[in-house]
Amino acid sequence: MVRPTEFKITRTTTETGVTLSITGELDLSTVAVLAESVGRLGGDGKQLTLDLSELSFMDSTGLRLLIELDQQARREAWKLVLIRPRHETAAAVLQATGADSALPFEDPTDR
Amino acid sequence: MASTLAEFIIDPAYSAVVSMDEQGLVTAWNPSAEATFGHKRDQVIGRPVAEVIVPERLRAAHVEGFRRFLASGEGRVLDRLLEMTALRADGTEFPVELTISALRDGAGWSFHAFMRDVSERKEAEREHDRLVAELHRALRGSERRFEAIVGSLGDAVTIRDREHRFLYANPAAIAHLGFSSWEELRDTTPAAIMEDFLVFAEDGREIRMEDIPSVRILRGEPAEPLLIRTVNRHNGAQRWNLLKAAPLLDEDGEVEATIMIIEEVTERKRVELQGIFLAEASALLASSLDYEQTLRNVAELAVPEVADWCAVDLVDEDGDRVSVAVAHVDPARLDLAKELRSYEPERLDPRQGLGLVFRTGQSLLYPEIPDDLLVEGAVDERHLELLRAVGFRSALVVPVRLGDRILGALTLVSSDSGRVLDEFDRKLAEQVAARAAVAIENSRLYSQRSSIARTLQQSLLPERLPEIPGYELASVYLPAMEGSLVGGDFYDVWSVGDSWMMIIGDVTGKGVDAAAMTALVRHTMRTASEFLTSPAELLARVDATLKQRPSLSVCTALCLRLQDDRATIAVGGHPLPLYVTEQRVSAVGEHGPLLGAFAEVSWQDIAVELQAGGTLVAYTDGITDAVGGTGTRFGFERLCDALDGVGDRSAAEVIGRLSEALAKFQTGAHADDTAAIAIHRVAAAAAAEANASEADSHASNGQNHDRRLAGARHGQTN
Repeated sequence: MVRPTEFKITRTTTETGVTLSITGELDLSTVAVLAESVGRLGGDGKQLTLDLSELSFMDSTGLRLLIELDQQARREAWKLVLIRPRHETAAAVLQATGADSALPFEDPTDR
Repeated sequence: MASTLAEFIIDPAYSAVVSMDEQGLVTAWNPSAEATFGHKRDQVIGRPVAEVIVPERLRAAHVEGFRRFLASGEGRVLDRLLEMTALRADGTEFPVELTISALRDGAGWSFHAFMRDVSERKEAEREHDRLVAELHRALRGSERRFEAIVGSLGDAVTIRDREHRFLYANPAAIAHLGFSSWEELRDTTPAAIMEDFLVFAEDGREIRMEDIPSVRILRGEPAEPLLIRTVNRHNGAQRWNLLKAAPLLDEDGEVEATIMIIEEVTERKRVELQGIFLAEASALLASSLDYEQTLRNVAELAVPEVADWCAVDLVDEDGDRVSVAVAHVDPARLDLAKELRSYEPERLDPRQGLGLVFRTGQSLLYPEIPDDLLVEGAVDERHLELLRAVGFRSALVVPVRLGDRILGALTLVSSDSGRVLDEFDRKLAEQVAARAAVAIENSRLYSQRSSIARTLQQSLLPERLPEIPGYELASVYLPAMEGSLVGGDFYDVWSVGDSWMMIIGDVTGKGVDAAAMTALVRHTMRTASEFLTSPAELLARVDATLKQRPSLSVCTALCLRLQDDRATIAVGGHPLPLYVTEQRVSAVGEHGPLLGAFAEVSWQDIAVELQAGGTLVAYTDGITDAVGGTGTRFGFERLCDALDGVGDRSAAEVIGRLSEALAKFQTGAHADDTAAIAIHRVAAAAAAEANASEADSHASNGQNHDRRLAGARHGQTN
């Protein structure tokens, strides 16, 4: 199936921890890929940043994963940082569900 | 799946099977391994493989090779036949032949070694070498002594002069080359003998006279032992032979003659190939729950290893056959195979072929297929022409069965290769079929479980919507595609005193658990609505209930209370409903947080007056998220367009229009559940009080989003 943007996860490691930058659509068909990527990191980082700034779409399964990660981070005492999507369609879901204010979101920095 | 595989495949395996994990620890140890190594399963599970079966002097190399594989993904020892030295429990060492496969799944790498003790064969090889040395000595001695030793050898021994003429052949060689007497062989040229066979090297390339070791010696070239596969052109028999040659020198040191020993290794070679083939087939079958695809893979694996043509048919519930896979060694011939298939009836003749195998569960081997059989089986001239074009040499049909149940059959046909299928092939095919049966059964159990969950979910929807005075209701529910475990849209409408409650929502979860959550949400809603009238408070109640569940349970919901001409709406993480009038389409209500997800949250009631002729449409994100041909989403704009101008139509017409637009847009099955419900205020019932003002003014609490704004907040721009 042709998708407007290819789903891609890029991993970068910095002093503060690991950042996974996600582009494309986070939905039923891709959420397992992200879950696996996060799972594979193990518990070695102090901080995990999910950069969603280039995410073009997210459905309820994607949102569910973010909530699970947030709960896991609280439980295991590591820090989760989420970077807000720039795309309106992905941002709208976060606002409509209250996730935008309830989860640890930060604005993307300008490049 | 893993435990089933172990039970059905690994435990009864003839080979010793030892599995280990990424840490190099033993995870499986079958009964054959117990016998081979002398360790009981319980003694070794969880111990390092290196300590248990690798001799101490080789351990460092083993650990290093393993470490290199994990680091680089490169394994020199994987998926090929190896010979190594292994250690028994009593400290003795012995030679083993083995293949190692590496599989990767969610839990990481796992390694599976299929091993065989080859001590006896090694001993036989030493004995063989001793005899050959004896032969060399004997040649310098008397004729009689020579004859006594070589004549009784089981291996074929020939001696040829510089012109390749036979000087000598022992009885085993005479029989091996297909002759009845020494004289007959002596009078036949080596080239004529070659013509009776198709001869191939191990890698499949054709072997010619000049490649034969004895001929190479005469050219002065070194002659390594050569492993060849021969197929007798007359009877189709296939053999594996190891050719070893040595020069016989005259007094001046010139090559006078060559001696060649033809050791038949057919049995050993086929056991080897079988081991590798079965390991590959097992890995394929265990790799996916999409059994139709894995069966196609297995069919392709069987070609050309086992046969030139492989087909897999399954039996459906009515006992009819369903063709699942056809693989041919020559892909261009697949069309021929397909045309032939069109001649075969779905109802099979229970007296022969596939029909007979389906009925009896016994495999059938046709070593030779004479033309008479084709003539007898042909329906018409074209059919016979096709059958002859295939060039059937022999055929084998084995049932795919699980206990007494026949699931299907595996058909193997040999044609172009000219080889005859035999009992050995039958055993191999039966073993593949047994593995296929397990894979099919696992897959069926899986899809059954998924469909039970699906049925449960659908049974939670109201059978029919209640009749509400002054209103018309209609709904649509499109379940997610078969096999998808994600889903869980639901809706419900019920009466409480003089008002009506409606809820629509989407449980994010899987299978039976999603169904259980749906039941919980509906039950909580219905019970709480007996004493709570505010939709916002009802959502808070559901939120609290979901948070008590042990695992994360989140749900979107839109709750609506309908009393006279007023709807009170609370929304939790759900798309806002659309209010459709003749003039416009607009989203109404206020977004609130997802249920079951966040701490310290609340919801808000928004009241909307419903104009006569106006319709409220509540829907789940299955509609806006639906994917169309170019990968775009249906989105909010298309939804509004579909509803534009449907004001004053009946609820059923509104839902119809929406379903139609979605069906036109969408390609393929629904990835997610899709649900919508329309509540239409009948014009006639309220005609007297209807006024002509715009819909906006009827949304009393001001939370009436303009279509454009709402689109930006919740829709999808493509």
